[in-house]
Amino acid sequence: MSALREPRADLAREGGPRGEGASRNEASELRVVLAVARKDLLQELRSRAATVATLFFSAVTLVMMGFALGREQAVLNLAAPGVLWVALAFAGVISAAQNFQSDLEEGAFEQLLLYPVPRAAIFLGKLLANWLYLTALGALVAPVAFVLFGVELGAAAWYVVPATLLLGTFGFAVIATFYAGLTANLQAREALLPVLMFPVIVPVMLGAVRATEAVVGRSDAALAGGWLQLLGGFGLVYFVVCSALFHFVVDE
Amino acid sequence: MIDSSRDGKRPLWLNLLGLASLALFGVGAYLALFASPPDVNQGDLIRIMYAHVPVAWIGFVAVGVSAVWGMLYLWRSRPIDDVRAVANADAALLFSLLTVVGGMTYSKPTLNTFWTWDAKLTLTALMVALLVGYYIVRGLIEEPQRRARVSAVIMIVVLASLPFNYLAAEWFRTLHPAKSVNLDGSGVTMAPEMLRVLLINVVAAGLVFVYFVSERVRVGKLALSSARERSGFEAAAPATGEVVRVR
Repeated sequence: MSALREPRADLAREGGPRGEGASRNEASELRVVLAVARKDLLQELRSRAATVATLFFSAVTLVMMGFALGREQAVLNLAAPGVLWVALAFAGVISAAQNFQSDLEEGAFEQLLLYPVPRAAIFLGKLLANWLYLTALGALVAPVAFVLFGVELGAAAWYVVPATLLLGTFGFAVIATFYAGLTANLQAREALLPVLMFPVIVPVMLGAVRATEAVVGRSDAALAGGWLQLLGGFGLVYFVVCSALFHFVVDE
Repeated sequence: MIDSSRDGKRPLWLNLLGLASLALFGVGAYLALFASPPDVNQGDLIRIMYAHVPVAWIGFVAVGVSAVWGMLYLWRSRPIDDVRAVANADAALLFSLLTVVGGMTYSKPTLNTFWTWDAKLTLTALMVALLVGYYIVRGLIEEPQRRARVSAVIMIVVLASLPFNYLAAEWFRTLHPAKSVNLDGSGVTMAPEMLRVLLINVVAAGLVFVYFVSERVRVGKLALSSARERSGFEAAAPATGEVVRVR
């Protein structure tokens, strides 16, 4: 059994044509997901242009918001969670659009679609890459935001903030990856992407900001937990809906 | 459902439906403005409610119906399902815009502010934004099949977003007057004569909605068949080189 499975899985990994048996097993689909994610992350890591740009874009947004809000420490403290998530959302839109953009430029996306694998697996791979990327971005930007805005974190922050980052960026990445795929070959996609996705991710923004707020200057883990549930539910529902619908939006 | 009147004339039943909805709309407006009693707390302002609540309900129904036609399109790829989905999307955009306007009109005298960040008002405003996105994308895709597919997908996402937006906005804060008609069996907390007027207005708004959508579907069908004829002509004489645009 495993002797039969091995060569076919190898073919799938190398992108060769599928054997005539054509029985895709879950292991090979997982391989596809990981391969797509690996490709995207490697590309991001090697070019670094987008990474550096989005990282500094979020940092610059933080500084701009700091100037815009004035010098009063109380105001800055109140605004910090909101500003952090706005900065992450802006950077996330750019990186999601960039992800598909670089694929489209060389016609690589059409190649990717030609592989005899389910479209959902390609979506999940791109989602995984986007999610890891955004989480890393959040892990870098959040401390900067807390330092810049002089925020004192509550006792529960050490697990609430990472949980919020993970769940918040997941919901965000699902919508961003889906709509980036949808707008990939439309005109004016850079302007279109935020217009389309921001109304959908309002619950994510709200939940992430409120959950972060619950541990800024206080430590209300129960309040944060309620909002984290909203984030989790959002991520779960859209994960299912978008995986099921993705092949309709990329079909040519 | 609708007989395809090839000559483009409006069928009789559609005209009758239009007349009926106009008549019932008049009756509903009369009852709301003159016959129903003023509210204990809000006085005559309550009369806005008779227009606002039915319009809001119908707006959400229209999004749901449009998403269902979208799903049917994804399932069986019949162009007419896209026509029906768009017809309902038009109604959804119109009714949700009217809901936002009505809500703002209502909240200025009662809550002394045009914009309250209230759960339902915010939800409806987000719905308007989502529907505008739907039309932007529709306008950008030339190929009819792909446009129909993508817009069906967007409408399904819009439908899925409504419960989340509602929950988020409700937890965020709410100033909205409490519901007087609960669908969970806990009953109705509204004077019976007011409820009767409200329900008549709901039926009137529903008839207007059905009339708008039927008329829009009829026009959409005509556009579809004329586009088909044109593309058939193009296929017969490809020398013209003109790009067929199906609207």
